[in-house]
Amino acid sequence: MYRLSKLRFGFPIGLFLLLLLDGSISQSFSVQLFHYPSAMVSHLVVLWLVCGAIFEADQGEAYPMPLASWAAVAGAVFDLYYTGIFGVYVFVFPVVIYVTRRLVLYIRPNFLSGLLIYFIDITIVEALGYLASRAIHLTTMSGSSFLVNTLGPTLAFNLAMFVILYFPIRWVYNWLK
Amino acid sequence: MQKFSFNRRLVIIIVCLIVSFALMTVSVTIRNKKSTPPLIQQFGNDIVGLVDRVVALPTNGLSSSVSSISELLNTYQENQQLKQQVSELAQTKVRDQTLAKENKQLKKELELNASLTDYTAVSAAVITRTPSSWQNQVVINKGAASGVEKNMPVMSGSGLIGRIAEVNKTNSKVELITDNNDSANRFAVQITTKSGATVNGVLSGYKSTTGQITMDNITTKAKLSKGDKVVTSGLGGVTPKGLYVGTVAKASGSDYGLATKLYITPATDLSSLNVVTVAVTKQ
Repeated sequence: MYRLSKLRFGFPIGLFLLLLLDGSISQSFSVQLFHYPSAMVSHLVVLWLVCGAIFEADQGEAYPMPLASWAAVAGAVFDLYYTGIFGVYVFVFPVVIYVTRRLVLYIRPNFLSGLLIYFIDITIVEALGYLASRAIHLTTMSGSSFLVNTLGPTLAFNLAMFVILYFPIRWVYNWLK
Repeated sequence: MQKFSFNRRLVIIIVCLIVSFALMTVSVTIRNKKSTPPLIQQFGNDIVGLVDRVVALPTNGLSSSVSSISELLNTYQENQQLKQQVSELAQTKVRDQTLAKENKQLKKELELNASLTDYTAVSAAVITRTPSSWQNQVVINKGAASGVEKNMPVMSGSGLIGRIAEVNKTNSKVELITDNNDSANRFAVQITTKSGATVNGVLSGYKSTTGQITMDNITTKAKLSKGDKVVTSGLGGVTPKGLYVGTVAKASGSDYGLATKLYITPATDLSSLNVVTVAVTKQ
């Protein structure tokens, strides 16, 4: 039962920890990550959410977690604290949860298929973030240079993080269960 | 029944899209018009900022210890070069002090209280950076409580790095000049050429492939050459006069051949920022 487990407190704590770690990583390794013109954007918070959805699917019916609402809260904090433009990630993060939940219905989640799902999720996050930024004139980057300079490096970085952190995060979820 | 549920999903998606765009528009408007964000946003940001300081402490400490080890390797060479510079600097400093004193006396005689060059420096540490590829934005640990206001220029090392975009009570966001949105890097600057002529203009953008700031639409006849220093001109309000921006790297004809386009090498490395200085002007 989610309501009675340590996950009830552990999940939000992990969520906010990774949300803030995203910023710290971007700051500490800004020389390596934001090497103009290409940019690698760390999305550890999405990794935590996607791993949550995969864990939930693994547990079957016993563990319905309020992932979408926590995703919206994390998105709201992301918008207010990091970007200052409210209304982008507060919708994007729940969309990621929705897509992941749909996908795990068709694909049995394990390490490799999780990698595929995460690939799709990061693409959604970056693409929707790009479209929103174009709409409100935060960037004038063209679509092709977005694909080459942002999406490609970001996918590479985040998939590497998935490979490194998938088993530790799964261990944390199982421990919190 | 199937058709009904499909329609309902479509309606939800469309409503979400509309709400999202409305919220974005509202927050962009507030960001452009108001000097501070709404109270609830400020409050939330202050709390998150407080928590973030605790989280950022170990990671920032780790990265600074790594960089100090790598710096140790070329310390000897650097020491030799710096010794030379220090002896020159002492002379400049003494002269600077004398001039500042003289300047103060002269201002007193003219009964001039505050001129364009006056500002107090508030130094702040960088807490975190926006994890985004188009918003080059950092969060610093000083806010309205320390006298920081929106649109104030921010410096690091020897040069200008950006301006304050949003002010909360205890932290604020800095938009770097590498940010290519509509308002981030429009600073009024001036260049003094080798022949002594002054050229005024406004910074117009950032060329990410070469890492240079661009300055467009210069219609002067004065000859601009490589190495000319670019400083803020103090025209147009909040930015004080005389903040160092960089040096001219290249002057070329602009896209339509009517005016000159300048490429400026920034004075500081804009990718690694740890401590910054906000130039607080009295208004």
